[in-house]
Amino acid sequence: MLRSCTAGLRSIWALRGRREGAPRLSMDLQPARRLFSTEKVIHKDWALPNPSWSKDLKLLFDQFMKKCEDGSWERLPSYKRRSTQESEDFKTYFLDPKLVEEAQLFTRGFEDGLGFEYVIFKNNDEKRTVCLFQGGPYLQGVPGLLHGGAMATMIDIALGSCTGGAVMTANLNINFKRPVPLCSVVVINSQLDKLEGRKLFLSCNVRSVDEKTLYSEATGLFIKLDPEKSST
Amino acid sequence: MELFLVPPTSCPDSTLPQPSDPPWSPWWTLCHLSHHGDQPKSPLPRSWPGQVSRFCQEMKKSKNYALPNASWGPDMLSLYHEFLEKTKTSGWVRVPSFRSNRDHIQGFKLPLDLSANSDKSDWRLFTRCIEREGQGYEYVIFFQPSEKKSICLFQPGPYLEGVPGFVHGGSLAALIDETFSKTAYLSGEGLLTVNFNIRFKNLIPLGSLAVLNVNVEKIEDQKMYLSCVTQSRDQQTVYAKASGTFLQMHLEEDSSRQ
Repeated sequence: MLRSCTAGLRSIWALRGRREGAPRLSMDLQPARRLFSTEKVIHKDWALPNPSWSKDLKLLFDQFMKKCEDGSWERLPSYKRRSTQESEDFKTYFLDPKLVEEAQLFTRGFEDGLGFEYVIFKNNDEKRTVCLFQGGPYLQGVPGLLHGGAMATMIDIALGSCTGGAVMTANLNINFKRPVPLCSVVVINSQLDKLEGRKLFLSCNVRSVDEKTLYSEATGLFIKLDPEKSST
Repeated sequence: MELFLVPPTSCPDSTLPQPSDPPWSPWWTLCHLSHHGDQPKSPLPRSWPGQVSRFCQEMKKSKNYALPNASWGPDMLSLYHEFLEKTKTSGWVRVPSFRSNRDHIQGFKLPLDLSANSDKSDWRLFTRCIEREGQGYEYVIFFQPSEKKSICLFQPGPYLEGVPGFVHGGSLAALIDETFSKTAYLSGEGLLTVNFNIRFKNLIPLGSLAVLNVNVEKIEDQKMYLSCVTQSRDQQTVYAKASGTFLQMHLEEDSSRQ
């Protein structure tokens, strides 16, 4: 196998693994040490409490952090921008380098508390994840309610967190049962149902913190990228 | 009875109504065109033409985001002007877009079980949350009342990134849901999404123009069924196909407000 091919393969898998994925060790509770001012932005881990987090969200976060202590669960860090190296790797697969530099992960582009506040915990044994999500005031649809599209975005992210490596969403099917009040906290339980070659079949449900209200149920199909082929 | 579409005498797209304009702005009027023998797709609510006008009223105090700005690329601008022409000649309506959906439904109140969490003035419509021109969602929706369909012109900015250089699937899903929502409401008071299904076919490059074609397929048992095809302007590339079901909900007049 050509050296460049292996390098490309390794970087794509590493990228997905690193972006909303887990580091190999779960002890990474502090934001990464800051070396230069630009790197401060790149390496800030957004999946950590901030002043905008409600009591409900903080309580659940602490409960799950406790579960991480014995290694059965791990918290997935979440970054806003790719490092220069990661951008370089992707440039060989996709186009327009200029846009790649300016861009940032969609859900991490808001000031604290205004948009998506979320953290994902992964249970590796059971191949499932729990996403704690607090939708902020900039995610409104019908006045007072969370926008269906914002919920769809989070469902896409939550389902994706159950996958590994470089994947892309192929299908999403969401049934909304009850509207979510804006600024409330919901829990998204996702799992991998089936793996067929490069196809991953996943499902999730979205519930209230006390589990009494089922807000929505969804299924999704994700496809593992073939590192041998370019996507364009 | 036949009514005729009244073309506006002047329709400068960069000006907003003046403080002296009455609520029914004189520079456009929408009427329902009805011929003997034609079957409409479904029974229309009695107040339907008035509903569209009221929903699409320009708000004096609220900025209308569905207007060109410096970030709009040549593709977006030329297609926009094509449809603007159609608003004068073939009954299309340009739907204004405000920071909050509350601006569209001034004077109405939400059903009791939805209004428990009353919205605050700093709450924003998701697809209008990114203020900086060209960074997030740049879009405008045109609605064709007689055919219950819309077109949304979408130019995604770098903040909507998912896969590097391309639009995040979730952000596209959100705009499709939003376009469904406006189309559903204007076609018959469809208000809440009950089902949403999307099949992604190809990635949309950031900064390019995508066109969302939305149709109301069916209205049955208080539910509206809509479909959307998102494709490139030349229709050579299909980016995604989606379908959505919306629950119809009639909004009561809020007599407590002025």
